[in-house]
Amino acid sequence: METFSDFQCPACKQLYLGTSRQLNDNYVATGKVFAIHRDFPLPGHAYSRIAARYGRAASQLGRLEQVEQVLFENQEKWEQTGDVDGTVASVLSPADMTKIRALIKNPGIDAAIEKDMAIGRTYAINQTPTTIIHYKGQTYPVVGIVSYDVLHQFLDQLLSQ
Amino acid sequence: MMQSSPLNLRRAVILLGRIFLGATFVYAAYSKILHPTFILHPWFAFQFAVKANLANFSGEVETFKFLSASTSSLLAHTLPFVELALGLLLLIGWRVRYWLTGVSLLLVVFLSVLTRAFLLHLDIKDCGCFATPEPLNAMTLVRDSVFLAAALLCTYFAFVEARKPHPWTAKESA
Repeated sequence: METFSDFQCPACKQLYLGTSRQLNDNYVATGKVFAIHRDFPLPGHAYSRIAARYGRAASQLGRLEQVEQVLFENQEKWEQTGDVDGTVASVLSPADMTKIRALIKNPGIDAAIEKDMAIGRTYAINQTPTTIIHYKGQTYPVVGIVSYDVLHQFLDQLLSQ
Repeated sequence: MMQSSPLNLRRAVILLGRIFLGATFVYAAYSKILHPTFILHPWFAFQFAVKANLANFSGEVETFKFLSASTSSLLAHTLPFVELALGLLLLIGWRVRYWLTGVSLLLVVFLSVLTRAFLLHLDIKDCGCFATPEPLNAMTLVRDSVFLAAALLCTYFAFVEARKPHPWTAKESA
């Protein structure tokens, strides 16, 4: 299951808070679903790209979960001020932040984001969040917010096929 | 002798108007029921897609901040099917004046809600009108006003035409 997301997109925040966390607890942690976070920063959002860089750098340190949570939960604050660094620093240790600040300057981070976006374009994605569910050779694209109740019914039926 | 209805200007306007409005309403319903998540099979995946789309539309209705969450959800799960029914009935062309009245009333409600949101400067990223996400702006209001003007004109003409005896049932003059 690949979720193409933008940290500054309000619908992505809603999907994350309302669906993704429960999905992680009940399907990803139990090994029923393999979830991949894909960055798809939209050009209309001023701080999407920088937030994606921090997220990507955090994932290299195994800290994506914490950074994803703090960025989505404080989206309204940092999208006003642009203080992505301060928001991320509030949940990570100074040592991790030093590493992350170095990592985001690495061109490889941007290349990885571009790679995710290129994958998204192969699915003709034009809005976030978009979730692509793969199962037994079939692909099911789910666009927009989907509630956990609706998604879990679908996943249960899909997994029982 | 039986003859077909003469195609005067009023009838031509009604014909074009009902095809235009009918197609628009069917497309609006299709946009809400089958978009943005478009999965046709298997059946359970189709059901999931429709549920997800209607829930998505419910979220869009909520952004207009004129109904509670539960009422928005009820409206979102009803309105697309009303649009579909009205659109199909207009395309079929049976009892057109009644369905045109329904379409006109619905467009009055749409335009009122959109105008209110526009005047309140609500941040509507997608008005939920059609399949392509479309932020609410002045052009949305102009477009809906054109739809409403067309619907009102067609409704008026349809009632005028309905008062005239139909050529099939009217007595033939000598």
